[in-house]
Parts: sequence; structure tokens; C-alpha cells
Amino acid sequence: MDLNALIAVMIILPIASALFLNLLHKKDRTIKIIAIITAVVLPIIPLLTPYGSHFFGGYLPLAQNSTLAQGLPAIITGTQLSQFHLGIMYVFSSAQQLMIFILGIITFFAIFTFINETKKPSGVYAFLLFMGTASLSAILLSDDIFNLFVFFEIAALAQVGIVVASGIKDNYETALKYILIGNIAGPLLLLGIVMLLGVTGNVNVTDMIFSIKNGFVDPQSPVLLMALSLITFGWLYASGLPPFHTIKSEVYSKALPHGAALIQAFSVFTLVAIGIIIIRLFSYNPFTHIAIIGISVIAMILGITMALMQTDYKRILGYLAVGELGYIGIGLGLGTALGITAGLFQAINESVITSFLFIGFGTVLYKTRTSDTKKLGGMMYVNPKVALLVLLAGLAMAGVPPLNAFQSKLMLIQASIQSGLPEIGIIMILLSIVTFMTFMKAFYTVYMRPKPKELEVLDNKIPKSTIISLVAFLIICITLGLFPQIATSSLQTLAAGLV
Amino acid sequence: MVVDSQLMSFFTAGSLIVIGIFAALFLDNLIKKIIGLAFLGDGVNLFIITMGYKPGGIVYIFLPDMTISNFAQTSAYPLPFALVLTNIVIGASTLAVILGLVLILNKRHGSLSASKILRDKGE
Repeated sequence: MDLNALIAVMIILPIASALFLNLLHKKDRTIKIIAIITAVVLPIIPLLTPYGSHFFGGYLPLAQNSTLAQGLPAIITGTQLSQFHLGIMYVFSSAQQLMIFILGIITFFAIFTFINETKKPSGVYAFLLFMGTASLSAILLSDDIFNLFVFFEIAALAQVGIVVASGIKDNYETALKYILIGNIAGPLLLLGIVMLLGVTGNVNVTDMIFSIKNGFVDPQSPVLLMALSLITFGWLYASGLPPFHTIKSEVYSKALPHGAALIQAFSVFTLVAIGIIIIRLFSYNPFTHIAIIGISVIAMILGITMALMQTDYKRILGYLAVGELGYIGIGLGLGTALGITAGLFQAINESVITSFLFIGFGTVLYKTRTSDTKKLGGMMYVNPKVALLVLLAGLAMAGVPPLNAFQSKLMLIQASIQSGLPEIGIIMILLSIVTFMTFMKAFYTVYMRPKPKELEVLDNKIPKSTIISLVAFLIICITLGLFPQIATSSLQTLAAGLV
Repeated sequence: MVVDSQLMSFFTAGSLIVIGIFAALFLDNLIKKIIGLAFLGDGVNLFIITMGYKPGGIVYIFLPDMTISNFAQTSAYPLPFALVLTNIVIGASTLAVILGLVLILNKRHGSLSASKILRDKGE
């Protein structure tokens, strides 16, 4: 058996499972069993899959495929055309392995929490969670930019579906706003992609780079610059960077905690995947790096300061998540091996920590049915164990040692100093302090201040599965904090290739 | 002239895209916004088709009486057309979801005005 076929299984399995779950109605037990089995298998597949490429349809480039090249004229086989990829190609390396593994872990705990917190789990909701995961895995693996666009659209639809399925007040309005904006960003992203196709004749990223580097395309062509700006617009929408930070944080707040945990992971990994493609294609242009750093700094400042002004803890978390995205962007924008490694490491850490926080704070919603901090208080006395776990998650987000974000933020500061931009390091330190203050303010109002008399705490017990999920996230945070090389060693090869 | 028709087609695509973005951003009625989004999607599709157009080219179907060399030199580039087909499917699915959401919001708020629906939100 060709084990590289497992690369495609990472996409096919969640899609097949999602489609099957979608057909199940009122078959709670079957839904639970299939969803859990799929969720358990998802993080295991990337660990079993050997590194390499998967060519859909078996279409290798003609230079490597003598059978297909046989009988073709020299106008094709004797030129650079023989180097080009004929079909969709997925590339799987150690960085993709780590990111898809972490995405699988988050999906597992989102499904695990959903199945146990819901009396009658909906097959449609599980369908949406799995479709989102499949799309993100494809976005991370695909070397074909049009294939990436297709999964970008599926991921956007899955996120809209997760919001619609939440049943939270005003969720339909938020879903409509998000999809309307997405329906402008999507076609513009596609326009950027087809401009690249028009100039290079390809949609395969490796082939496009080959064309640009070998002089088949003028790198200073205005069409390429236009393509860069349109693709960047789509990237900002998908990842929730400014000017889309408000709608993205609203989307987080209108999803159920497990859904929000997964949606933020989608945002983080889309930011990384499309960000890497932008760097691969346009790194010859210094403006690309300046733009990425500029947008990221704005995202950090806007996200974290707007979090300070919110009174809904889900909005607070949403804005903090946007602020943390800025750190990842800075790492990518610095463009050095250390910077990119730090940015990717921060992406891994942020996806875990924010999921940890969404599911942790979700227990408050589960017990009180409200997320308004003005109405909340005294939750520490309701469940001190969960309160401690949430506090640790907040400390991790702020970058307190020995937790994981400390390591990645330290690396980012070192990278910015190495790149001759110490002022960015100072901004990152200051904003980490503000993140800590914002989190502590939210934590105090929800957990520590006296419980308001009118607050009704429900009798329903927090499921053990939720506690297990939180403890597992904490273990990941501590492990990556104490042994960062587990992650950085997987990310360094990709980062070195991008410089 | 052939070149002119291609240029005109690019111009039409550009116009559709601009009109679509304007309608989606500035018109208040949700149905008009959706029509604008359809314009935008169709503009992008027309742009791709125009880009794949080859003056004097033939359809990319290899018939028995053709030689590979002749086919390679004269046929149009099929990739843009494959992209358009996929994008039509994506656009139709997305528009269906948007229409579904608008239907529900219209029942709830009794209006198709985006500003009224968003104003009512939270009340």
C-alpha cells in the first residue's frame, strides 16, 4: 500500500464521516459513536503518514512520468512544461504534520465536549465541525491555490453553519453579515488567483514560483501586485485580521463554546496557510513583509484594546484571539527563519490556548446561560477546579512562564531584535501586559467578585468530559512550555525553506 | 476585431465586479445586495472565461482526426474553464445559504432592510 495515500485520507475521512452524520436524524447513539470514532482517528492519521506528496489522479509532472510523456511532442516534453504539475498536489511535511495533529486534537475535544454536553447531539452540527476540519486540513496541505480557494469557501460556509446551529440570540444576523462579507472577499480572492493564473499559466504554487524565479514572468508586473493585494484581502477576511476583526469576534461570540474553539483554530490555521503562500510567492517584494507586519501590529493593538472595552466574555475572548493573531503575523512578516518558526509556534500555542479558554469559559454559559460579565460573579465558588484551569489558560495566553505562549512570544521578541526591529518587541511586551490585565478583569468579574443576587446558577453538573478536555489542554500547554523543541524542531524546516 | 471583443469582455467583467461590490456594500435591500453579489461572482467568472479565450483557437476536445502537435498548438487552455465550472457551483451554494438566511430574517423582522434588521438586533 502506498502510504502517501494517507495524505488524502486526512481530508476524505472527515468529509465522508460528515456526510454520513448529516444523514442521521434522531439516531443519537449512532451519531455519538461515529463522531467519536472519527474524532479519535483524526489526530492519529498525520502521525502515521510519511512525509511526501500526493498527486491526485496519479498525475506526476511529465519529467517524472515517462508513461504519460510517451508520444507527446517536444514542444511539451522538451521545455519547462514538463516540470509543471498536471493535477492537484498535496504536500505533507513535519510542519503540516504538527498543525494537522493539533487541529485534530482540538476537533477531538470540541466533538468530545459537544457530545457530552448535549442531550440529543445533532448530526448536522457534527457535520459542520468535521467539514470545517476537513477544509482546514486541505488548506494546510494543498499546493494548488485554486483548490485552496474551494476549501476556503467550504470553511466559510461551515463557520456560518456553526453560528446558525448555535441557537444563540441574534446568531442569524451575525451569520448573514459574515457570509455577505465573505461573498465579497471570496470572489476577490479568486480574482487574485486567476490573475496569477493569467500571468504564470498555473495554479500550482510551486510552478508559479518556478515561473517567477526563472524569468518567465516579470516580478514587477502590476498584475502580480494586484494579485497580491486581492489575495491579501481574502487572507484578512479568512483569518479575521483588521478590518474584519469585529465581525470575526462577533462570530466567535455567537457560536457555542466548542464551536467557537474550532472556529478560532480555523482562523489561526488559515492565517498560517495563506500567509505562507503569500510569503512564498511574493517575498521578493519587500512591501509584502512591511504590509504583513503593519497589519499584524494593528491587529494586536485593536484586538487587545477592544477586548478591554467588552462586557461579554465571549467577545473579550474573541478580541483577545484577534490580538494574538497579530503575534503570528509578525513572526511571518519578519521573514527570518527564527521569526517564521516563532510565528508558526505561536499559531500552534494560540490555537490550543484559545480553545482551552473558550471551552473553560463555556462552563459558565453551561451553568448560568449568560455570558454577560455584568450579570455574572462568584463562579469560583460554584466550581473552583474549573476556575483554576481557566486562570491557568489566561496566564498561558498572556505569556507567563513556564507555559507555552511564553516560549513563542520570547522567540518572537528575539526575532524582532535580530531583525533590527526592537520597537516591535517592545510593543509585543506591552500588549502582553495589557492581555494579562484584560484577562484578569474578565476573570475577576466572572469568578471572583461576589455573586449577584439575581444570578441563577443551574443545577446541571459540568460533564467530566469538559474537565478532561481542559486538563488535556493544560497538559499540552505545559509540555510545549517546558519542551518547546517538540514543536520548533518540526517547524524549522518549513521556516528555513521560506527564507 | 477579435482583440477588441476580448477587451470589451474584460471591460464588461470589470463593470460587473464594480457594480456588484457597490450594490453589496451600499444598497440597503437584502435582495438587491444578493443581486449585487451575483453580479460580482458573474463578473469574476466572465473575467476567467475571457482570460482563457484564444483568438482562432479550437475547443479543447481531442478528436480522432487530430494530431497531438496540432491540438497542442491550436486548442484553448482548458484550465480557466474548469475553474469557472467549479466557481459556479460554489457561487450557487453560497447564494442558496444567503437566501435561506434572508428568508428567516425576513420572517423574524418583517423587513428586507439590512439597516432595520441590524438595528432590531439585540432588542
